[in-house]
Amino acid sequence: MTTENAPASMYRTTEGLGVWEHKGKVAAVGIGHSPTTRRWDGTAENTMGANSIFALRQAIADAGVDPADIDGLVLDPVTTTGAHWPPGQEIPMDVVNHWNSTDDPLDGIAKLSAEWILKNMPELTNVKFTMYGQGCMSHAIVVAAQAVGEGRTHTCLVLKSWHNLEGRYNQSGVSAQDEVPGSFALAPGRTLWGAPGSYGTALQFAEYCRKYGKSHDMMAPFMANSRRNGLLFPEGYWAQHRPEQLTAEDYLNARWIAKPANLFDNDIPIMVSGAYLFTTAERAKDMKQKPVYILNHASSRGAQRSVLPTLDEVEKETAETGRKIYEGAGITAADLSFENMYDGFALFHQFHIEGLRYRGMQNGDALDFYQKDISIEGPDPVLPSGGNIGSGRSRFWMHTDSIQQIQGRAGARALTGVKPEIGVSGGPMPMGGNFTVWSATPD
Amino acid sequence: MVKQGIVPDELTKPFWDAANEGRLEMQNCSACNRLQNPPADTCSQCKSADNLEWKALSGKGKIYNYGVVYDCPVRLLQEDQPFNLAVITLDEDPGIQMYSHLPGTPVDVVPVGASVEVIFEKSANGQMIPEWQVVS
Amino acid sequence: MPLPTKKFETARFQSRYEERLTRLAILISFDIDGTLEVGDPPGVLTMELVRKTQEAGILVGSCSDRPISGQRAIWEQHGIAYDFAVSKHQLPDVKERFEAEAYYHIGDREDLDRQYALAAGFEFFWPDEAVSEPWLK
Repeated sequence: MTTENAPASMYRTTEGLGVWEHKGKVAAVGIGHSPTTRRWDGTAENTMGANSIFALRQAIADAGVDPADIDGLVLDPVTTTGAHWPPGQEIPMDVVNHWNSTDDPLDGIAKLSAEWILKNMPELTNVKFTMYGQGCMSHAIVVAAQAVGEGRTHTCLVLKSWHNLEGRYNQSGVSAQDEVPGSFALAPGRTLWGAPGSYGTALQFAEYCRKYGKSHDMMAPFMANSRRNGLLFPEGYWAQHRPEQLTAEDYLNARWIAKPANLFDNDIPIMVSGAYLFTTAERAKDMKQKPVYILNHASSRGAQRSVLPTLDEVEKETAETGRKIYEGAGITAADLSFENMYDGFALFHQFHIEGLRYRGMQNGDALDFYQKDISIEGPDPVLPSGGNIGSGRSRFWMHTDSIQQIQGRAGARALTGVKPEIGVSGGPMPMGGNFTVWSATPD
Repeated sequence: MVKQGIVPDELTKPFWDAANEGRLEMQNCSACNRLQNPPADTCSQCKSADNLEWKALSGKGKIYNYGVVYDCPVRLLQEDQPFNLAVITLDEDPGIQMYSHLPGTPVDVVPVGASVEVIFEKSANGQMIPEWQVVS
Repeated sequence: MPLPTKKFETARFQSRYEERLTRLAILISFDIDGTLEVGDPPGVLTMELVRKTQEAGILVGSCSDRPISGQRAIWEQHGIAYDFAVSKHQLPDVKERFEAEAYYHIGDREDLDRQYALAAGFEFFWPDEAVSEPWLK
């Protein structure tokens, strides 16, 4: 079976599309996560592939379905954004051969194919549809939702996995070379000039602070809130390995990475896999867990004019994303019980929620909003999942929490200041991401 | 501070050749009369490759924004951290940006909005690279 | 920098306190992850070693990317009366606060430990170098 990348037609990237034709007809019914670790320990039993299988089996069991009933699999084949297998480094064939391997020896170690999953999960006897939602879990979710809606699959696993290796993100490869290609030197993002990953966001934040008269210090309550929520997420890295709260003093004393982005504005890379089971609303009625319906998915594909998006470009794009999210779901900002927008760099979360016009906020209001009660106990919860800041880099805590909140399975993290009926999650970047509207009811 | 050496490729060779001669040139679509950076195979507006040319620029710009890099992933630059990393916009078109370490400007004492002019610095393999200095 | 003053009720305790102050000639800053046994990854320096070092009259503390509150918790959990807990870039502040004849930082990272230490005027030691130094009891 050849697995393709999802075609552009599966993403809802423009305004004016009206209500999503499959609104309320697709539901999330199962959740699974692997344990988290900081890095791969080099063993066959703890590869990213092993984590993937663990998470998938947990999602299947959580949904209470027979694996033979599953006919679809959507995943992101890319399992890192910065821990690339060092060129020339020997691949441990004992690890490769421990599993049913594919033609690529790094499959299951530093990348992941649908073929590898199916070869190593013999219980999935009926998977006929596979597709890649390449980018992160947000991509895979919208592809799976669209696929179920279109009838390409009726019971579909959705998977995102992360590996992490020795060393620091993005310090190998081209960053370590004495010479670089001319096009790389002029490319946006990480370039000849040595910009760390958070640089672009840091500059947008700096522009935001100048424009609206805000300061980096104002992020402290958001950071403490996110870590607090993350420590209530037993599946997350900090809860599992270092259950320590991040205080305002901790945050404000952290070293800069790309000022004004400091150490804690950057999420910590980890190894983890997360999986969901989606199905039709009709089938979901008879399943073990309370269905969480998908009202819409929307995608942003913002194009910057030059090397870095300006604040104007970000604000324009996020506002458009907000409108697309609501248009396709047939709701307004006032209908949102909570938001779980991405926070992989903490300093752009406010762009996402301003774009949503969450609780009526406009551009420039979010940092003031953070000074209020944004807790899970209050009426204006911000990022109840705690996001990546709260639980480590997975880009899916926000989705899991959204589903769990609506199902009433968020445990100690349960929202008590609002009734969780409709939430939105997604990312990653303000200029480009995929977003999902979750609901307790199909309409 | 010495940046990594550049190995020009087909797309960017005109840019780097001009830099070696002390000229700042940028891709321009003559049909759209629109500069673009980074360079691409087609015009980002009309999507055509037919009208792309390389245009000489004045070498004048403004500091649009900046950050200070304390933790740099590029090995060759790590001994120079912390350093300024600014975004410069061109006077010919403020929508066009270039990066700069702002040689001569103290770290984190960057006059946002100030005028700058292009200079050229040697990289690790001798290729000249445009940089920007504040016009005093 | 004048020595901090403190008054004890008995002359015997006062004398021992002032004797300790006059012998506080060395300050050691410890990275945590990759350096101390409690780090992730664990390092070669044990907490018992650090405790004995401090009991010998040396100023000790941590300089780490871990949150400061988390650093304090580690020291307190191991019953070590640390003198400071700071972020990587705050070694200059430590040097400013404490007068010592020698300032050492022990860590496992070239970019984060060695560079910051040297920039702050500290001598730098890798953990496996430091473990055989006479001032580390």
